[in-house]
Amino acid sequence: MATTLKQVDVAVIGLGAAGGVAVLPLARAGLKIAGIEAGTWMDPHKDFHADEVFNNVRRLVTSSPKAQREIPTVRTGPGEKGVQAAAHPMMNAVGGTSIHYWAQSWRLKPWDFRTRSEVIRRYGANAIPAGTTLEDWPITYDELAPFYERIEDEVGVSGAAGNIQGKLTGVGNPFEGPRDKEYPMPPLRGSGFTDRMADAAKTLGWKPFAPPAAINSQPRKGRGSCVYHGYCATGGCHVSAKNSTAVTTIPEAQRTKNLTIFDHAHVTRIETDSNGRTTGVRYIRNRQEYFQPAKVVLLAGYTYENSRLLLLSKSKAYPKGLSNNHGQVGRHYFGHWGTNVTALFPSDINIWYGLPAQGTTCDEWADDHFDHAGMGFVGGSSLHVYTERHPIDAAAMNTFGRAPGWGSAWKKFIHDAAARQAQTYLQTNTFPYETLYLDLDDDIRDPLGDPVCRINTGGMRENERRSVLHAQGKMEEWYRAAGAIEIFKPPPAVPGVSTHAYGGTRMGDNPDTNVVNRWGFSHESPNLGILGASVMGTSGARNPTLTAQALAWRTADYLAKNWKSISF
Amino acid sequence: MAQGTFDFDDELRFSRRELIVGAAFVPLAALVAQAQGVPAALTPAQLKTLEAFIDRLIPSDELGPGAVAAGAQVYIDRVLAGPNANEKGQFLQGLEAVDAYAKRTQGGPLAELSPEKRDQILKAIDDGTALGLPQGRNFFNRARRLTLEGMFGDPYYGGNQGFAGWDLIRYPGPRSAVDAEMQRMDKAPAPYRRSAWGPQYK
Repeated sequence: MATTLKQVDVAVIGLGAAGGVAVLPLARAGLKIAGIEAGTWMDPHKDFHADEVFNNVRRLVTSSPKAQREIPTVRTGPGEKGVQAAAHPMMNAVGGTSIHYWAQSWRLKPWDFRTRSEVIRRYGANAIPAGTTLEDWPITYDELAPFYERIEDEVGVSGAAGNIQGKLTGVGNPFEGPRDKEYPMPPLRGSGFTDRMADAAKTLGWKPFAPPAAINSQPRKGRGSCVYHGYCATGGCHVSAKNSTAVTTIPEAQRTKNLTIFDHAHVTRIETDSNGRTTGVRYIRNRQEYFQPAKVVLLAGYTYENSRLLLLSKSKAYPKGLSNNHGQVGRHYFGHWGTNVTALFPSDINIWYGLPAQGTTCDEWADDHFDHAGMGFVGGSSLHVYTERHPIDAAAMNTFGRAPGWGSAWKKFIHDAAARQAQTYLQTNTFPYETLYLDLDDDIRDPLGDPVCRINTGGMRENERRSVLHAQGKMEEWYRAAGAIEIFKPPPAVPGVSTHAYGGTRMGDNPDTNVVNRWGFSHESPNLGILGASVMGTSGARNPTLTAQALAWRTADYLAKNWKSISF
Repeated sequence: MAQGTFDFDDELRFSRRELIVGAAFVPLAALVAQAQGVPAALTPAQLKTLEAFIDRLIPSDELGPGAVAAGAQVYIDRVLAGPNANEKGQFLQGLEAVDAYAKRTQGGPLAELSPEKRDQILKAIDDGTALGLPQGRNFFNRARRLTLEGMFGDPYYGGNQGFAGWDLIRYPGPRSAVDAEMQRMDKAPAPYRRSAWGPQYK
């Protein structure tokens, strides 16, 4: 039998980017919290190294067992077998993937919250991509803005405001939604190469800027600033300048003594009573099974794990899985479309050091910042060039047809070119579709015997394909303006297991098409809240984490303020 | 990954012990201990064959040491004995098949052939024209990838000896902190020939 523990006020499943911020307003409100985390604390001295083999080849920072034992499968749709991906790109730890992410910390645009009605207003109903289940969000940018600001301060985001209270600053992103005030820290510095790219963008009449990042550009709250050493991606920060929740909101919540962390705890089910109320969390820790009763449960796993745990948690009240009596769990899922355009320059660009958040971004071709009339797609992509290049990856570069793949001629090629290749990150506005969803795999199971999550992609999407091709063309223009002599544009590809995975427990007012309400609580089980990008109905053309965190804070804040009515 | 053949409900009736043991966690320290690994996946003869192969992938020439001189074979030997042990069997099968192909088409084992003859063999495999070598292309890609890891990875793992790989592509080496001066485009940072695991790394 499982050991039943003492009831807590709130059980939070997963202390990553989202759960790791939600614990703070709850703890400050005096609620007793059990933080149930599959990973554990990582040690910056022992676990984080300036070593590509360690971080990127063997993925030893990210190879936490739980995630790697339940890697999702991917298939196009019914009738096919799901094929399991080689690795899970996310990790389990106190701090979760905010340990190893790029820390790019964007607000979404006002347009992202009202994409459906804005597209119809400007281009007509026929411009809505065929088969999409896109809805406007139940909340607007203005409603989320105070929570963005809160996270930018609590976590610590560096950046330059482009729009303060409707007034363009002349620096920062001129296309962003209005901010109330400047960022808490100035942006990260540029490098010689990112400065060159900024100058090139200006010759095209574009407005380049240094994008926001949850990384200290100067000492703050007792931690130092970024040291730009070039091992940020898929690695942890050895000087704790990357503001993962493990060094920011989680320790802050611990200081209240209201948060108890149960690490190495593998959650297997969320339990409910016959009335459909959530009663607590079942997990395995140190080879023992426990039941943690809680007045309220906040589910804060990654997008795949959120849908999966709900679908696995079947009961009398929820025969198809928890909060799934409307059949919406796993629906409106989508992985972020994007692409990497690479370029070869005629001389060394010196991007070895730095970090992916040290870069230059242009937003002219994202969202609805240009007229789409007659273009055959809606949405667009942000264009981002950046630093941090590792030697194995550099040597494994595309030869642009200029050399064979081995031998002395190849050696000569990389001797010249490996220090001259740039990469970009293009992130594309992506839509949910009827035939794109998560469910449980028929065959592949984790070692406990539970089926893994399965991604049903529904295949190629014409809107996103055209959008990516358009962005690649713009990226080529930008590179050429900076002097690039070769460009490689990979063919647009349907996303598989993604680090930017959205939906599956979408937020909306209509319970027939959404799992959680406008506050992030289940339409069906009122004391179950869901956190993370799994509640987001649109992606924006930028990284999701800040939005997931702002929403998580907002849900936790709402819970603390309405404790009696939600907890009974 | 376990691939269950039982019905979901049957799996749940598995003994409690199975369930709990299945959830045991591998501590990170154990994974780190695997990282360095110890040599001895390959016999001396296999090592010679491997060297004969990767020597043509990245030859020593006027631009500096090649894969063998930089010790990429040491890296490969260690990873196949340690963290990549699960691919050791397939890799060695591929290596033996290439050696058999060499004997069949060039009249001798790979390690005894001239560079020119070995180049012909690699070219045939790379082009997909090597007859009777159905897995040749897979082996080629895997051997090439591991050679790159050995040549350009941290010397801690046995390859990139004398920082030959990093010098070849002007990678200046891992540093624990980097200032703006070291990120200029018009001036390369001075090479810092250190392993991130070495005693002098700062």
